[in-house]
Amino acid sequence: MAGRGYTFRVARKASPARLVIALSVAAVLAVFLLYTSIAGGGNPSIAPSALKGRTAKVQLVGVVVGPVRGDSHAGGKHFRLRDIGGSRATGVPVVYSGSVPDLFKVGREIVVVGRLRNGVFVSEPGSMITKCPSKYAPKKNADDPA
Amino acid sequence: MPELGRAALLVTLGLVTYALVAGAAGAHLGRRRLAVSAQNALVAAFFSTLVASAVLLAALLRNDFSFTYVARTTSEALPTAYTISAFWGGQEGSLLLWLLFLTGFGAAAVRLNRQWARDLIVWVVPVFAGVAVFFSFLVVAVASPFATQVAPADGAGMTPSLQNPYMLAHPPLLYLGYVGLTVPFAFCLGALLAGRPDERWLIATRRWTLFAWAALGVGQLLGAHWAYVEVGWGGYYAWDPVENAALMPWLVATAFLHSVMIQEKRGMLRVWNVLLVLLAFSLSLFGTFLTRSGVVNSIHSFTQSSIGPWFLFFIALTVGVSLAIVFWRLAQLRSPTKLESPVSREAAFLYNNLLLLALCLAILWGVVYPLISEAVRGEAVVLGRSYYDFFLRIFGLPLLLLMGIGPLIAWRRASLTSLLTTFRWPTLVAAGTGVVLLFLGAGSSVPGLVAYTFSAFVVTSIAMEFARGTRARKALGASSWATAFSSLLGRNRRRYGGYVVHASIVFLAVGIAGSSAFDSVSEARLSRGESMTVGAYTLVYRSLDERQTANATQIRAQLEVSRGDRELGTLEAGKNAYTVEQQVSNEVGIRSDKLTGEDLFVIAEQIDPDGTVYFRVFVKPLVNLIWLAGLVFLLGSAIALWPDAREQRRLVARMREVGLPATR
Amino acid sequence: MTLALVLAAVLAVGCVVAVAFPFIKEPEPESDDLHEPDEEGRRRLELLEERDRSLAALKELEFEHRTGTVSDEDYRIALGPLRREAANALRALETEGRPLEERT
Repeated sequence: MAGRGYTFRVARKASPARLVIALSVAAVLAVFLLYTSIAGGGNPSIAPSALKGRTAKVQLVGVVVGPVRGDSHAGGKHFRLRDIGGSRATGVPVVYSGSVPDLFKVGREIVVVGRLRNGVFVSEPGSMITKCPSKYAPKKNADDPA
Repeated sequence: MPELGRAALLVTLGLVTYALVAGAAGAHLGRRRLAVSAQNALVAAFFSTLVASAVLLAALLRNDFSFTYVARTTSEALPTAYTISAFWGGQEGSLLLWLLFLTGFGAAAVRLNRQWARDLIVWVVPVFAGVAVFFSFLVVAVASPFATQVAPADGAGMTPSLQNPYMLAHPPLLYLGYVGLTVPFAFCLGALLAGRPDERWLIATRRWTLFAWAALGVGQLLGAHWAYVEVGWGGYYAWDPVENAALMPWLVATAFLHSVMIQEKRGMLRVWNVLLVLLAFSLSLFGTFLTRSGVVNSIHSFTQSSIGPWFLFFIALTVGVSLAIVFWRLAQLRSPTKLESPVSREAAFLYNNLLLLALCLAILWGVVYPLISEAVRGEAVVLGRSYYDFFLRIFGLPLLLLMGIGPLIAWRRASLTSLLTTFRWPTLVAAGTGVVLLFLGAGSSVPGLVAYTFSAFVVTSIAMEFARGTRARKALGASSWATAFSSLLGRNRRRYGGYVVHASIVFLAVGIAGSSAFDSVSEARLSRGESMTVGAYTLVYRSLDERQTANATQIRAQLEVSRGDRELGTLEAGKNAYTVEQQVSNEVGIRSDKLTGEDLFVIAEQIDPDGTVYFRVFVKPLVNLIWLAGLVFLLGSAIALWPDAREQRRLVARMREVGLPATR
Repeated sequence: MTLALVLAAVLAVGCVVAVAFPFIKEPEPESDDLHEPDEEGRRRLELLEERDRSLAALKELEFEHRTGTVSDEDYRIALGPLRREAANALRALETEGRPLEERT
C-alpha cells in the first residue's frame, strides 16, 4: 500500500508502543489473578441433602417446606428447605433473618446463603433470592448484603 | 389460522435455505441472476415471517386459546397492551420476534447497501441466510408458536410482575440490539469471503452497529429502571447472569465502535476488529442461550428447555466456521501500519479496548464459573457481588478517565508539550473538584471520590472540545455562535455525537457512584405515629390504608416526610395482593428530589396484622442522574447516527469512477 | 381453514415469483457475470479510498490544530508526512492511466 505507514522518523524494529501494550495486557491479567488468589472463590452452591456436616459458608438452593413460623425481622423466620425434585425427607431446618422477597411462600424455589450451625442452617441477613415460577418472568428479589 | 402461521414459517425456512445455497453459489461462481435471486429470497423471507407474526398477533388479540402459546401466556382479563407484550413473553414467541427482526435487518441492510457495496453484498446474503436458517429451523421444528390444543375456557394469564409498561419496551429493545449485531458480523464474514478485508465492511455497517449498540444500551437501562421502581429491592443491577448476558456483548460492541475508527483512519487493527465482531455476535447468542437454557441459577428463571443444546451447537458452529475463514484470509488481513507511539489517540483507543474487554471477560468468567467449577470439582461455586464490583471499579474507573483523555491527544503521536497544554484545565478542574469534595466528606468512599474526580476531568475536557470547536467555526466565518455550533455538529456528527454519549456515561458513573458509594440505609419497625430518621430525612408513619382494585387488594402505609424543619409531603409504600394469581408484590415509595437528583426510597417490608410495619428506607444521592444519562445517551446516539448525505454521495461516486454501474 | 390454505398458497407463490424473478426478467441475458471490479478496478478502488483517507486525515489535522488539540509545533511536524501521503495517492491514481476527476 503506497504511502501508508510512512513516518518521518525511521521506523524502529521493536516499537516501544507494542511493548507498552503488552505490558498493559500483562497488568490486566495480573490484577485478575491477584484478585482471585486473595479474595478467593465464591460460595459453593449446593442442595440441602448435601449439607450434612458442612459448616463452611454455602449457598443453599431448594424448595420451601412449611410450616413457616416467626418474623425475619425479630428472631428469624423458621422453615425447612428441601431438594428441588426431592422428598420432604431431604429437608433441613433454616432460620432466616433480613428482608424476605415478595414471592416467598411454601413451594417456592429459593436461594439463601449461610452456614450450618448446630443442625440448623443460619442464613446471612438479607441473602434470600426467590426464583419466579413461570417460564419467562424476570423478577428480581435480591437484597444485596450490606 | 395456525396452519397459515406454520406454512409461512416453512416458507421462510425454505427461502433462507435457498438464499444460503444459491447466494453462496452465485457469489462463488459469479452468476449475477443467481445472486440477485438469493437477495430476493432474503427479502421475501422477511415478508413471510411478517405474515407468521401477524397470525400470532391476531391470535393473541382475539384471545384464541386454541393456540397453546396464547393460552399459556395470556388470559381474558389481561389488558390489551400486555396481551401484545405476550408475543415476546414466552419462548416460542420471542424466537419468532428474533426471526422477524433478523430477516428485517437482513432485508434492509442488503437493500440499502446494494448501490455501493455490491461485491460485499453477494457474500453477505448467504451469511445472513445461514443465521436465519438456524432461527427459522428452531421456530419450525423445535419451538413452534403455532402448536394447537383444545381451547380451554381461559388462559393461564401473565405474572403480575410483568404487567407494566417496561414489558412493552425492554425485551424488544434488547432484541433489536442482539439481532442488530448480526449485521456487522455478516458483513465482516462477507468481506472476508469476498476477499475484501479492508475498511469497506466497516463503513457499510457503521450505523447499523451504532443502532444495535444504542438499542442494547437503552434496553438495559430500562431493565435497570424496571428493577429499581417496580421490583423495588433497593437497587438497579444485581449482576445476575441474565443481566450480564446483555452487558457483555454491549461492552464488546463499545470496544468495536472505538477500534473501527482506528481501522478507518489508519488501516490498523484489522484482525482485531474481525475478532471483536465475532466475539460480540457470539456473546449475543451466548447471552440468549443463557437466558433460555436454565443452565445457570438466575432470578430470571426460565424453565430448563430443550433449546439449550441447539444454541450451543449453533454457537460452536458459528465460532468454528468464522475462525476458519479468518485463518484462511489471515495474510490479507495483515496491515502494514504500526502503532507509532504509546502516547497517541490510537493508543488511547487501544487502552480503552483493553479495559472494556478485560471487564467483559471478568464478567464472563463470573457467569460461567459455577458451570466450570461444577464440571471440575463436582460442585457449583457462585461468585458474589463483591467480585463484580471489584472488577467494575478497577477497569471502569480508568475507562472513565480515558473518555476525557482521548480527545486531548492527537493522532499518531502527541508531544509532551502539547499534552501539558491540553491537559491543563481538565486536570485543574478535576483536582479542585476532588479537594472540595474531600472537604464535603466524600472521602468516605475512595472509589466514589475517584469516580467524581475523573468525571470532573471528562466533563471539562468535553466542554472544552465543544467550546473550541464552536470558536474555530466562528473564526471560519459563521454568522453567529448558534450557527457556528450547529454547523460544527452538522459537519462532525460522529465526533460530537460521541462526545455527547461520553457525557451520558459520565452522568451514569456519577449516578452510580452517588447511589452506591454514598447512600444511607435505615430499618425500623414502626407503629402508627412513630417515626424514624434516614440521613437528613425524618419519616412519620401515620396510617395504613387498604383499597380494592379489579384484580388486587392494595395496602399502603402513609408516611409524612420532612427534612430538617421543612415538610416534604406524604409518601406511600406497601404491597399489592393479587387475588387470582395468589401473589404479593412490593410497591415501593420513591420521592425524587428535583434539585439534587436524590431519592428517598421506602420499602414496607413487612406489614403485621396489628398495623405495625417494618420499614427499610434508603437515601440514594444522585441516582436520578442514571436515568437522565439514558436520555443524553439517546441524544448522542441520534446525532452520531444521523445520515450524512455528503458522505453517501462520495461513496456512490467512488463506485462510479471505477466503472461499476451504481444501480443493479 | 380453507382461507388459511388459500393465503398460504398465495404467499408461497408470491415468494417463488420473487425468487425466480431475475430469471424471468432476463431469460437470455447479455452477460450473467457479476459486475465485480477486475484486478485493475480493484486497485483503482483501493487508491481512491487511499486518497480519500489521506485527504480526510489532512482535514482532521487542520481542524484539530484550529481547535488547539494539536500544538503549532506538532502540526508542523505532522503536516509533512500527511501531505506526502496524499500526494503519493493522487500521483498513483494518475499513473493508473485513466483520467482523474478531482473531488473535494
